[in-house]
Amino acid sequence: MLTRPQVSRRTLLRGLGLTLALPTFDSLTPRMALGATSVAPAPGAAPRRMACIFVPNGVHVPDWIPSSTGFGYQLPYILEPLASVRDDMLILSGLTHDRGRANGDGPGDHARSASVFLTGAQPRKTDGSNIRSGISVDQLAAQQIGGATRLPSLELGCEAGRGAGNCDSGYSCAYSSNISWASESTPVGKEVNPRLAFERLFASGESGETRRSRQERIALRKSILDYVADDAERLQKQLGRSDQRKLDEYLSGVRQVERQIEHSEQESKQAAVEMDLPPGIPQEYADHLRLMLDMMVMAFQTDSTRIATMMFANAGSNRNYRHIGIPDGHHDLSHHAGDPVKHAKIREINRFHISQLAYFLQRLKAIPEGEGTLLDNCMILYGSGLSDGNRHNHENLPILLAGRGGGTIDSGRHVAYSTETPLCNLFLSMLDRMGAPAPYIGDSTGKLTGLQV
Amino acid sequence: MFGVSLSVLMSYRTIVAIAVMGAALLWDARVDAQPPIPPVPEADALFVQQVAPFLAKHCYSCHGSEDAEADLSLERFQDSANIQEEYALWQRVLRMLEEREMPPADQPQPDEEELHAVGLAVQAQLDSFDCSGEQRPGRVTIRRLNRAEYNNTIRDLVGVDFQPAADFPSDDVGHGFDNIADVLSMSPILLEKYLAAAETIVDQAFEDPEARAKIERFSAESRDQRRETLEKNVRAFVERAFRRPVSDEEVERVLTLVDAVRGSGPERGRRGRGDGQRGADEQREAGQRRPSNEPLRLACTAILTSPHFLFRIEQDAEQEGESELLTEAAAAGDAVSVRPLNDYEIATRLAYFLWSSMPDEELFDLAAKGELRQTPTLHAQVERMLADPKARALVDNFAGQWLQLRDVASLSPDPERYPAFDEELRAAMLQETELFFAAIIREDRSVLDFLGADFSYVNERLAQHYGIADVQGQEFRRVALPAQRRGVLTHASILLLTSNPTRTSPVKRGQWILDNFLGEPPPPPPPGIEELEDDDETLGSLRERMEQHRANPSCAVCHRQMDALGFGLENFDAIGAWRETDGRFAIDPAGELPGNQHFSSPAELMQVLAEQKREAFTRRLAEKLLTYGLGRGLGPYDRCAVNAVLDHAAAEEFRFSALVKAIVISDPFLFRELKGAE
Repeated sequence: MLTRPQVSRRTLLRGLGLTLALPTFDSLTPRMALGATSVAPAPGAAPRRMACIFVPNGVHVPDWIPSSTGFGYQLPYILEPLASVRDDMLILSGLTHDRGRANGDGPGDHARSASVFLTGAQPRKTDGSNIRSGISVDQLAAQQIGGATRLPSLELGCEAGRGAGNCDSGYSCAYSSNISWASESTPVGKEVNPRLAFERLFASGESGETRRSRQERIALRKSILDYVADDAERLQKQLGRSDQRKLDEYLSGVRQVERQIEHSEQESKQAAVEMDLPPGIPQEYADHLRLMLDMMVMAFQTDSTRIATMMFANAGSNRNYRHIGIPDGHHDLSHHAGDPVKHAKIREINRFHISQLAYFLQRLKAIPEGEGTLLDNCMILYGSGLSDGNRHNHENLPILLAGRGGGTIDSGRHVAYSTETPLCNLFLSMLDRMGAPAPYIGDSTGKLTGLQV
Repeated sequence: MFGVSLSVLMSYRTIVAIAVMGAALLWDARVDAQPPIPPVPEADALFVQQVAPFLAKHCYSCHGSEDAEADLSLERFQDSANIQEEYALWQRVLRMLEEREMPPADQPQPDEEELHAVGLAVQAQLDSFDCSGEQRPGRVTIRRLNRAEYNNTIRDLVGVDFQPAADFPSDDVGHGFDNIADVLSMSPILLEKYLAAAETIVDQAFEDPEARAKIERFSAESRDQRRETLEKNVRAFVERAFRRPVSDEEVERVLTLVDAVRGSGPERGRRGRGDGQRGADEQREAGQRRPSNEPLRLACTAILTSPHFLFRIEQDAEQEGESELLTEAAAAGDAVSVRPLNDYEIATRLAYFLWSSMPDEELFDLAAKGELRQTPTLHAQVERMLADPKARALVDNFAGQWLQLRDVASLSPDPERYPAFDEELRAAMLQETELFFAAIIREDRSVLDFLGADFSYVNERLAQHYGIADVQGQEFRRVALPAQRRGVLTHASILLLTSNPTRTSPVKRGQWILDNFLGEPPPPPPPGIEELEDDDETLGSLRERMEQHRANPSCAVCHRQMDALGFGLENFDAIGAWRETDGRFAIDPAGELPGNQHFSSPAELMQVLAEQKREAFTRRLAEKLLTYGLGRGLGPYDRCAVNAVLDHAAAEEFRFSALVKAIVISDPFLFRELKGAE
């Protein structure tokens, strides 16, 4: 729908009722110019972006994995909606999250599938005391390069955390409703309301505010943050360990808000954003997903952040898909016991999710950046932390990676890895491409080969 | 409002001393109330003699050290049951044995004599659990206000109900509740929201005369008094916001912030005022310009962003009298050092437990007088607080989560199968259970009414749904229930939230009852097991299909009781309407619970539960209330407190207030373990 060539940026944005200053970037740096080995971004090149999208309950694997590898693979049924971006992505089969397995912790694969998805870390089995996972790949990137943009990272979802009850077999709901973890004990809360996401991204100034009062407000906020940080530091000295951890969380929040304020000071010359505020949470799930995906597109396009995560639904979600003719709960269905009727319903749900991804990728592809498109500068990881929802297995995960990572990824292929290859290896390769290298993450054993031909 | 904080400090030691004496008395009383405790060596000898060989013979093949079923390894228990740490595990083992659920039917069965002997030996271990030893009240991590608490606190602090937390990210849930300290994390996005909310709240409060008066309690008579007035206003606000007396230094730091901003802001040059102080009159004159750096506004914004406001903090030893006392305790050789909470901390715990909000003036006054710790005072406060409209918070937050009523809003039964379901019915279902819970509190009824009540609250829509005649209009009223509906388990709300979108789920219903009402949560099913096929009536009724499905004895272990409970409620469809048939099959609600407890209808099932499961139900409710009241999961030592609560409640016919009163005088509620215990 948005594949029309030569659409001006302004036209596209006005379609959404938005006008705002867009950053300009140098042209895409061709990979050849960087030399064969380096995948790190070159200075002055367009910034790289990464997004990680989680879907719950596994997929119907036979309709997900292409029958052949390499270029020119046939899109399986679930992935058919991606036809227009097939050459912009990699299907990566055979990857594993070993730390999603029980490893002695018993049941709870759904909760683990989300908490392990971007961390690769075995979550501590607890319903409340001392929750522990690991730092997630997006937050590792944000902690290194997030300072370049107003928001270090953006965390979105379509389902709020559950308000009552147990989430999964003795795992706190924090594990099933978060994929981003700022530290091993701090999940990063996600925004599920498109209006609030928008306000956070773009409405930094109040309408009609003069420059003077804006400066005044910024100065005020800085002083307040200084004061409360001082409070927290004094308090911290008098407390026990788990209390101190809470104040660590508080202090890193303070520091991040300070950074945001500094950024908005620098941006003060930019034109004010004018756009119709999105409504609250739409009634229809598809509309909700699209609005959240629109937020990510705009966040990347305006370089408000370069790192985003999104949960299409929480782990173990039992949402129905009545709008595509499936009244059953997704989680109930995923325990299909080989029933072909349930298989058929599951793959329709999987395909529905993929069609939303296709919308997102097409939008990124329709935005020119340098000599290429915004999608060329992105790495969009999409997948589930479970392979088959019935077997609850964590190997051969359904994973795809869209975008060319600024010309460092040869997309358009299906790459099959040997079983038990850690998904975390892909994270290391993504971090390199973001200019935020890490020695290891989760159970990584090295970088993932095969992203380039 | 607190008087001079120094006087509080001075009286503190006395309070502590009284409190410790009181606790010692309580303690003795509790020991007397317990059955005689078998000495541990005897229980252990019995264990080695009876239990260990039994485990080796009947259990190790599945529950050995390698690849243990249900993740339960029994091989590690050779000499003792390690009961102080593993109480819950042995409780479950005993239940499984008594109910003949283990070993599974396809394994060699122990004979009656063997079973009896091993049962006695395990019971001896359970009875040897020591509540008289060192006091272990546990330790609560500093607790961030959750969304409900933030909203209510702001409402009571500034007197206007803004609901500012509506836009905050949802709070994560642990141990079934969203007020659990360890799970309430503080993410950067939240801090951003707190700062913005503080600005908005203060702006709005200063525009509302009533709210403004609540914050700006003192006004300056003359220019000279401005500084003094500001200081008084700041102190009054900060003490209420931090829920405790504050030191002069803390007030001074707020004033320093105000001075710094006033001294350096762009305002200064333009207005030509360098003194940084303006009285209330001038603030009101300020008119059009953005007034957010007026001294008191600025102070309030900072205070509402401070960790002392956003977290409920109980320090280990911040006050002099207290640390001396601790040193004495340490010298006396106590293994775990424990301190009594001070009166302000208790006022705060009470208020957040029963109101999900800050303490009111009366609680603060009692704390200032040092009277709050006395049992009669605590009990009188519980009565007063439960009668206050703010106790509605218990319905919204405790009942909303214990009964999982919060999930009702997000469920969507299939409209083709359940065309009767609409938003009006959903709202009515929710309101019924909320009104019922509120009536239990208001009328101080027995909590056993949750199981057996023959009345409820309906409006016309819900009455139609239940087949109750002669109820007109939208207002809810109390009615006698039809013969087969008894207690909340037959409320449409609970029946809906334990169903699938397209059909009832006896397993979910059974599991829900076991977990939330009886405290016997079944382990989750192993992965890869077969589930039922929907709609395939050629295979028989739902009940017949499920019975085939659990022909496998290792499934039957957990499913027997779960399914019996669930099938007992099959006369209620997935939205809680009465039915006699499911498809072309007649419903057969009859069943049996462990111990030959037969029932042939939903009402009989409820009667069996109310009579036979009274202990399990009241224990579960007490555990849930204690978890909620403390904001932490319970550990093995908390069972001593739960026992005391149950004794107390049983003596008062399990009235709701009796449970609450017993909780607020329990050790975990009034004491705190210190750093070393972490």
